[in-house]
Amino acid sequence: MTAVIVLAVMLVSGIIAMIDSIPYSIRTVYRYAQEETGIAPRGDPSILPKLVETVRKNAPVPIERIVICRVSSSLVKSIVGKWPFVMLGLKQEDMAYYAQRQKTTSVIGRYPRPGAPETIVSQPVAKNLGLKIGSTVLKPDDIENYAPTPVKVVGIAQTDRWFMINSIEYQRENYFPPIDDALIFAKNLADQNKLDHWTVKRFKGQRPLIFAYFQIEKNTREMFSTLYLILNVVISALAVVITFMMGMLMNIYQSQRIVEFGLLQAIGYTKKQLLKRVLLESVSVITLGWILGLFCTFGLLNVANKVLMEPKAYALDVFDLQAYAYTIPIPFSILVVASLTVVLRFRKFDPVGVVERRLM
Amino acid sequence: MIEARSASLAYIDHGKQVFACQEIDISVKENEFLGILGPSGSGKSSLLYLLSGLKTPTGGDIHYNGRDLADLGDDERSKLRIREFGFVFQQPYLLGYLTSLENVLVSKPNENRHQEATELLERLGLGHKTHRHPHELSGGERQRVCVARALLGSPKVIFADEPTAALDHKNGLSVVQLLNAMRSTGSLVMVTHDPSMLEQADRIVRLADGRLDKLN
Repeated sequence: MTAVIVLAVMLVSGIIAMIDSIPYSIRTVYRYAQEETGIAPRGDPSILPKLVETVRKNAPVPIERIVICRVSSSLVKSIVGKWPFVMLGLKQEDMAYYAQRQKTTSVIGRYPRPGAPETIVSQPVAKNLGLKIGSTVLKPDDIENYAPTPVKVVGIAQTDRWFMINSIEYQRENYFPPIDDALIFAKNLADQNKLDHWTVKRFKGQRPLIFAYFQIEKNTREMFSTLYLILNVVISALAVVITFMMGMLMNIYQSQRIVEFGLLQAIGYTKKQLLKRVLLESVSVITLGWILGLFCTFGLLNVANKVLMEPKAYALDVFDLQAYAYTIPIPFSILVVASLTVVLRFRKFDPVGVVERRLM
Repeated sequence: MIEARSASLAYIDHGKQVFACQEIDISVKENEFLGILGPSGSGKSSLLYLLSGLKTPTGGDIHYNGRDLADLGDDERSKLRIREFGFVFQQPYLLGYLTSLENVLVSKPNENRHQEATELLERLGLGHKTHRHPHELSGGERQRVCVARALLGSPKVIFADEPTAALDHKNGLSVVQLLNAMRSTGSLVMVTHDPSMLEQADRIVRLADGRLDKLN
């Protein structure tokens, strides 16, 4: 019975943890956006200086740096397919700043030279795409990761953030449209979110397009709200099935012990004592099963993470509290069914029937 | 000690009232070995369950030391059974997951009677099997563990319901002799259909069709 509860807990928390890994992956892959507020002039390069000036003068928090950049698109892999990612074109003097802002502790290799078909990628991107120094990341014959000339990796940044940088000169020379964007960095990271909200509000209804991390969070939540609703229904149905199954198992288990209960009641155990004994046993079995189930899930998620996810830098939270929390109703519902079964059985239980061998 | 006054036990079978025991007057005295003899279906087990408080009479009453058992609630009757009575049933019912010693101790929960239980098993010839589980014992040995369980705590009355039914004659006789020899000051009420098992009884009553037939 303990084993069944263990499996039930593993099933529920395993499903939730794997589903949770999708939004968790989104947050992990695009976490670089937490450090910056992006402004794109949306087709009109002439307004960028004005936009930058507006932010510089009116921002509600101190600005550390405004970086002019170009972006082109690339792709990274996830457990649910390929996701769009940006190749950021930066000036030489901004590359180290950007990498440091993205928590880079060291760089293996070097930064791309101005105008050269070179890139530096962060460690998770390198893992995800299987890149080493010298690997080609963009090439003319790859429609998903296109560049007119092969772009080679010349550096790998040691950080848990995801980013790809090449030189702004290379992008200006080879990509369309010919429009620069701006990245605004608040002096204190704690202020970046405030800056994001202010910028979105300030340019609402105007031409520029603002990229802010809180929008990614909001979109992710909205995108998954329906999925989680369906998931709740599925898990509830699963919990009901498991509970019924466990109730039936409990019933069979108690039927097998009918002689024991009959004997004990016949020699003088009260119904209350027997009830207490059986309920205590049930609580112990169920609690043990639940705790073991949580440990087994943790072990399973760790193995899955090490073997399947980490080598590709896929994100899986082995400490996903939501996944574990989803299993909380399982022991309680089983306990309720078990208690009801026991109480009903004991209500009209006749020990004489057992010792006379009528109920065996 | 125990007195049944016009005690009856009836049940409804297909809409008809059937008597398992009918208007039985009987008493169990202190320290006596009372044998209840009768063929199968004569109501002897029902009488035993009435006398021990396991069943409540549908007519008449059962008194134990002057108290009407019907006045006691379920819990009080259970407590009376565990404190003052010992039971041996037809089948050597033991808890399979407990050792012989633990099975003996089951009859007196929350009491430290480890030493007494060990001595009882030794006297019953099972001193070397105290840590064996029921499946490692023969039928006779299992019933002897049941005897030890019934004797633990020197109960005032031991009720034995066909304790030899599942044993061969030799083993059965041995169990009865042990039960009688070791009951110290307690009374023994034993139900059987085999008169040879009651050779040591102080008194024998016969039951037929739920009625007391004859007193010896």
